[in-house]
Amino acid sequence: MNNTLSTTDPRTKLISSKLKKEAYKADALIEVLHTAQNIYGYLPIPVLAYISKSLHLPPSRVYATVSFYHFFSLKPKGEHTCLVCTGTACYVKGAQQILEKIEQVFHLKPGETSKDNKLGIQVARCVGACGLAPVVVLDDEVQGNIVSEEFTQTMKEKMGLL
Amino acid sequence: MNTIHVNINNIEIPTTADKTILDVCREHKIDIPTMCHLKGLSDVGACRLCIVEIEGMNKLQSACTTKVADHMIIQTNTDRIKKYRRITTELFFAERNHVCSVCVANGKCELQNLGYQVEMDHVRYPFLFPQCEVDTSHPWYVMDHNRCIMCTRCVRVCQEVEGAHNWDVMNRGHAVRIISDFNTPWGESTTCTSCGKCLHACPTGAIWPKAIVQGQLEKKPEIIEELIEKRKMHDGF
Repeated sequence: MNNTLSTTDPRTKLISSKLKKEAYKADALIEVLHTAQNIYGYLPIPVLAYISKSLHLPPSRVYATVSFYHFFSLKPKGEHTCLVCTGTACYVKGAQQILEKIEQVFHLKPGETSKDNKLGIQVARCVGACGLAPVVVLDDEVQGNIVSEEFTQTMKEKMGLL
Repeated sequence: MNTIHVNINNIEIPTTADKTILDVCREHKIDIPTMCHLKGLSDVGACRLCIVEIEGMNKLQSACTTKVADHMIIQTNTDRIKKYRRITTELFFAERNHVCSVCVANGKCELQNLGYQVEMDHVRYPFLFPQCEVDTSHPWYVMDHNRCIMCTRCVRVCQEVEGAHNWDVMNRGHAVRIISDFNTPWGESTTCTSCGKCLHACPTGAIWPKAIVQGQLEKKPEIIEELIEKRKMHDGF
């Protein structure tokens, strides 16, 4: 496996400046991972290797942290992300039907990304907007009181399919 | 340090406040089963076998992570505790694929002995039969996730004693696994020093040396404590 990052890649510079800002402290790991995921959209192993080396943390500790938090992803998330809340309130209000509808229309299950890397489906336990249940976060935009039929239309519009 | 008195199983025991309940019990030959505890390593209270009843507390406390306090009244072997210990043991067996008869640790396994100790005659829970890998990539050792009970003794011995931190725990819930580096094969590890301490720390047959057949495994978990003692001596000079 190629574990080195290109030094000319501007994304590498963004990460190294974040590392510098955090003074290479080991306890800044999660902060740095947040930044890295914002830049890349997910966390590729070479990036993790770079971070673990810079912060003097064991590779296994970094991987353990990434795999523990659902926020972090080791796989590309797709150009458009659709995060369906399956917290108690949203579940009662029909989050499962939304997921079923999405699977019907886009043939994607939670955690999967479409082959053309256009759309990724994720689930989360409560995004903190229970009053709007059922809630879906489409491309970082919270959408409440979802009706599954209308919503798949909205998704298609967002993705430029209509 | 001031002497305090605790009452364990209706016996008054003088001790000091820097000790855990487990320390005091072991000193006085009061039997408490443990899995994740290994003398010399830090305690995490993960296996929940050392649970004890403390008067005035509703919840059961893990003896390895609870410090003794003056006038503490502790019960270590009530029916309630025995019941929970048995449940915990059965869950250990149901969680992964433990087949004693073909295991290298057969007869010398801490989990097997625990089964006898809590008088487990069958498992009342459905077995999960998870798909687990057997990592044979290391030139000398094998990591068999089927036999792992997630006590994390290997993780702690690698981090605290060897200082290599090759091991860690990934994911959570049912999906937890011990990993080496970036979830890469053990043999490709950049941090492992092949010292073999994890092998001696492992309570089951999950980590074992190659070229060993069924029931032939010899483990020396006490070697970890000896190592730490010797290092302290060395620091003193």
